[in-house]
Amino acid sequence: MLEETFRHFRECGRGREECQILWLSSWEKPEVIARIVHPKHAAHGGGFVLDDLWLNDFWMELGNTNIGIRFQVHTHPQQAFHSPTDDEFPIIHKPGFLSLVIPNFGLGPVGFKDAYLTEIQPNGGWQQVAISSRLVLT
Amino acid sequence: MDHIDQTGKHEDNDGRPPDRGGAVADENGCQPPDEALEHLRKAEHDLEKALEKEHEAEREIVQAEVEIKEAIREIEHAREFTIEILYDGVKKKFEVRIEETVKHLLDQAIGAFGPLPNPHTLALYKDGKELPDSQTIKAAGTKPHDVLLLRPSTVKGGA
Repeated sequence: MLEETFRHFRECGRGREECQILWLSSWEKPEVIARIVHPKHAAHGGGFVLDDLWLNDFWMELGNTNIGIRFQVHTHPQQAFHSPTDDEFPIIHKPGFLSLVIPNFGLGPVGFKDAYLTEIQPNGGWQQVAISSRLVLT
Repeated sequence: MDHIDQTGKHEDNDGRPPDRGGAVADENGCQPPDEALEHLRKAEHDLEKALEKEHEAEREIVQAEVEIKEAIREIEHAREFTIEILYDGVKKKFEVRIEETVKHLLDQAIGAFGPLPNPHTLALYKDGKELPDSQTIKAAGTKPHDVLLLRPSTVKGGA
């Protein structure tokens, strides 16, 4: 799953554009990431925006398959952090939702080195959390 | 004198089926065998039963058509009905009134699914289009059993 995520970042972003991947799990087993999705999006070196029609179809698909979004994962050109745009326009707004940022357009080694994980708090703010506290690779 | 109605059934002038149990003879005066008469009586009986069923089915069709028209009228003119809203793969039902605003429903949905922080970034969508907050449920074209999407108006990121 992690390798597939990085593969998308490299193929789609080509070291020049940001890219996003969503990690999904079923509502029966929300703690296990079961599927990844590469959203249709427009991107440039400093950002991306999801396609509106794609988002509608995807929302319906989630409802029809009883699947929810657990993580949004996206790349930054250099350092990984959560920008004001990242804070303001996530795909899910629920407290507990997680956003993982991968540095260097995902061109580095597959893994979480220098990555940044943050979580929506009950007050709507984002709080950085340790990756190991939320993610276990199996 | 016998006649044949539209169904092909033989009837006497008084509307009753002909009595085949009495003496029936052909032009040569030969009596048909009892077995044949019995078959004829049974066939006529079956025909009557089938016609009854046909009439009953016709009545049921008329009744069903009336009920369908009534259901369509209720859907088109209902003032209060149930819809579903979908967020993050979860569907929830909401009772709405046609005079309520989309904003009122949006607030209800945000409360039911969350509470979700930063509600100003969320909107309700129907048939791929964002519903304006100030519209009423009726003006938004929302119908009973519609599924609306609660989703962010924009999803984006940037360094």
